[in-house]
Amino acid sequence: MTGPESTDASNLRLRYEDGTVRLDGTVSAPLRARLHEASALEFESDPRTGTHRVPAFQYATLRALLERPADTGGNSRESASPGGESDEIASATVDDGVLSLGALSQLESAYTLREYQETALERWLETDPNRTDDDLPPAPRGVLELPTGSGKTVIGLKAIERLSKPTLIVVPTIDLLEQWERELEAEFDAPIGRFGGGEQRLEAITVSTYDSAYLKADSVGDRFGLVVFDEVHHLGGEGYRDIARLLAAPARLGLTATFERPDDAHEAVADLVGPLVHSIDVDELAGEHLAPYDVKRLEVSLTDEEREEYERNQSIFTDYLASSNIRMQSGSDYQELVKRSGTDAAAREALLARQRAREITRSSDAKIRALESILDENRDERIIVFTASNDLAYEVSERFLIPTITHRTGTEERREILERFREGTYSRVVTSNVLDEGVDVPDASVAVVLSGSGSEREFTQRLGRVLRPKDDGGRALLYEVVSQETSEERVADRRR
Amino acid sequence: MLTKDLLRVSRAGGRYQPRFAEREHRPLAARVIGIYQGHVGESRGALESALEELEREISGAGAASAGATSSGSASTASQRSVDEFKLVRGFAALLDRETTVQTEAPLEPVRARRAAFEAAEAVGGVASEEERAMALVGAGETLDISADDIAASLYADLEDRQIVESVDSRWSPDELLAQYNLSLAQTALFDATEIRVRSSDPKALISAIKRLRLMYEIEKTPAGREVVVTGPTRLFRATRRYGTRFARLLRTVAKTSEWRLEATIDDRGTERTMSLSADDPVSVPDAEPVVDVSFDSGVESDFAARVSAVDLEWDLVREPEALESGTRVMIPDFAFDYRHADFRVYLEIMGFWTPEYVEKKLAQLEQLEDVDMIVAVDESLGVGEEIAARDHRAIPYSGSVRLKDVADVLREFESDLVAESVASLPDEIEPDEDAVALAALAETYGVSEDALSETSYPNHELVGRTLVRPAVLEDLGDEIEGGMDLTDAESALGSYGITDSSAVLSRLGYRVDWEGLSGGTVRER
Repeated sequence: MTGPESTDASNLRLRYEDGTVRLDGTVSAPLRARLHEASALEFESDPRTGTHRVPAFQYATLRALLERPADTGGNSRESASPGGESDEIASATVDDGVLSLGALSQLESAYTLREYQETALERWLETDPNRTDDDLPPAPRGVLELPTGSGKTVIGLKAIERLSKPTLIVVPTIDLLEQWERELEAEFDAPIGRFGGGEQRLEAITVSTYDSAYLKADSVGDRFGLVVFDEVHHLGGEGYRDIARLLAAPARLGLTATFERPDDAHEAVADLVGPLVHSIDVDELAGEHLAPYDVKRLEVSLTDEEREEYERNQSIFTDYLASSNIRMQSGSDYQELVKRSGTDAAAREALLARQRAREITRSSDAKIRALESILDENRDERIIVFTASNDLAYEVSERFLIPTITHRTGTEERREILERFREGTYSRVVTSNVLDEGVDVPDASVAVVLSGSGSEREFTQRLGRVLRPKDDGGRALLYEVVSQETSEERVADRRR
Repeated sequence: MLTKDLLRVSRAGGRYQPRFAEREHRPLAARVIGIYQGHVGESRGALESALEELEREISGAGAASAGATSSGSASTASQRSVDEFKLVRGFAALLDRETTVQTEAPLEPVRARRAAFEAAEAVGGVASEEERAMALVGAGETLDISADDIAASLYADLEDRQIVESVDSRWSPDELLAQYNLSLAQTALFDATEIRVRSSDPKALISAIKRLRLMYEIEKTPAGREVVVTGPTRLFRATRRYGTRFARLLRTVAKTSEWRLEATIDDRGTERTMSLSADDPVSVPDAEPVVDVSFDSGVESDFAARVSAVDLEWDLVREPEALESGTRVMIPDFAFDYRHADFRVYLEIMGFWTPEYVEKKLAQLEQLEDVDMIVAVDESLGVGEEIAARDHRAIPYSGSVRLKDVADVLREFESDLVAESVASLPDEIEPDEDAVALAALAETYGVSEDALSETSYPNHELVGRTLVRPAVLEDLGDEIEGGMDLTDAESALGSYGITDSSAVLSRLGYRVDWEGLSGGTVRER
């Protein structure tokens, strides 16, 4: 038979395989060279199977390169390539079986977008290089940066509706999973699949947690034409990046309130999902969508017993610091301590002592008493109490008979509590930090923060959740309860 | 397997070695087992505190010994006490799996909560202790139980408050150490990006690799064949994604008597090498749960299922031994062993391959090892026929491999083999027995029954598939008569070793009137 170099046409078959796109068949020498040179493509030959492969997330780039030889995958140095070469490549017949998308009828939703939302969505759709090309799947890519409370979910729903392709939505928490599931079921006449919270059900439209998506990505990576990453900054984590790499979905949308990460991981996100294409400023929304609020700060003291216990533990910690060379002035000092505690028993004991000291300040009796008077003074308000630890959330729940939602709350009960709070059966809810991101907790007029962690992002996101005016039109109220003369106070100061 | 925070490794000298539990840790293992057994009937929280206590004790001992030594050798001492507390956690993690806890409460906690929260709303919200008591009484009234029972049930399902019901561990302290060491080695593999394995049972290894959806190459090294295990996306970058699968693979590896494993570890960005072997205290204490042989592609598993349903003169062998091919080695998907002679044909089912690759592969096989090979080639490239024309050992297929095509090729081999064995048989055979089944005779000569059809039998007559001496037939003719019960006739035949009764009865001029399913009467025709 004739050798591969003398064949004048390339017969290519593209298939999805465990997170990669496999190229079977004859890859003619000029084409091979072109693919190797394309800077946006990791095109490799695989001696294990005698084929070629690219990572699944580069599927759209690969198709574009095969279809439009003038494209160089983000690199223009070949723009003046000789005509003969592209003729030859144009003659390549490509049997593209990468995606196996389930049937999905044209989606319709009742939402209409506000103007700023419409603009954001359009910016994203405009990134699609295949907009005018019916042969290729739609492939818009990019991240939208939208403040909490600006309706990220609605924009996501509209994006899904516009493309009407099987879609995977990836979210960081069970609460968001439930929220998306509820919204999607309400809007679209299609079964909604779910990976996470104990269920593994695949449908044309499926919502998944990041963790489940990490585990499932290489087995379902060919089932979706669009992937939406909610709170896309999570994708910057080294392990989670794999999710985006293993999926073949050509269309990608990232949603976040804070795109940039201090560790520059957003550059990896841009590579995998697309660049930041539009950003809405909080100021644009002020007044209209976010309610103004007042802050009251209550300082409470530890009981003598608590104080003693606190001092004892705190000194174990400071003694260790004194005897080692860690000064705890920056995050990296803390990292160093955590690292040492993995192998050094004394460092571990110091760390545990510090945890115990913090625990005491977080759940001091005085805080419970402060909460008692807050609850007493705000009897007709809808109140959310935030705690930084599960234990305190349960303590508050048990003492004041307020329903609680923590990481451990089961799906069913969690749904019931949120629903009952939404409809008014319950007027109070206490939660540890599970509601930090993106979950809609409707219409509370009073928030109580018992021992916040002080990280700015957590703080604002919590506020964004409760900023609703009171029924009488009065301003919303935020209580912050901190222990006196402890490190917690400094944390609260840092926020101002 | 343990969680990664419980990993104990030594990085001394740039290596990466799990710090296995030693014999000296036996008393510690015994204490942890004792704590678990001693807390049956108590709360999970109490068990947890006891473990923390033990952990502190060990850390304290470590710190004390570190403090007692002079500053010069302090680092050695603290090195020794280093992360021993993780042993407690590691043992506990393994025992946890054998432990069952249960919620014990007068009322299902979810119901108690709902009632209490509703009652709290009904009293206008709870702030003071009095309001709390009122709400609990109200909740109790709606469910007709006491307020105390409501309060006791409220969060009885919290993990810490659940009751340890039983600890099913069958492990002795030594067994716990063994279990721990295997788990530790597995955990160390979580961060592996590639492993290289030498094993005394490569078949089981390859089978497990396929089952875990990993990929492999086999390389010949001076030390022997080495299986290099990676995953599909390893092509583009080192990834820890397959670490947990490598960890599962270790169970298969460590079950054999002779093995050696070298793992490339991504240790927070630093590449390190971990070596494990049969010399380490890593063994598989429990028999692994029985798992069906599974296959890496649907085409293969489908094929195996269909072969097992058909009666061939060949036995299907899955994952046969490796075939040498230069410095590389390949392991074909299947082999067929001919039942009547020592003869093996290999079958490789190729997905979609380039024609160059198929040709190269065939050429390699032809050149390097004296084996008979059938290659099933996906015909979608349109080269199947061309290859088939060049070499009868290639079968084109689309979708699934047609069993008939394989059987046809096997039959070609079969007829060659039959011809060969016929050539080896004498022209005449005179068996000693009065009556003997052809199958038995074929077995004696190590040939197929078909091969015997060319032979003549001067002293016997072939009745059905049995050779019988004419004299025996005569005797039987006298013994059996019309109207005789079939059972009696059969026992007469049986006394000469004849089991194929219907053929012989027919030869003697009888038929059987059947009564019911088994009984019958012999009649003259």
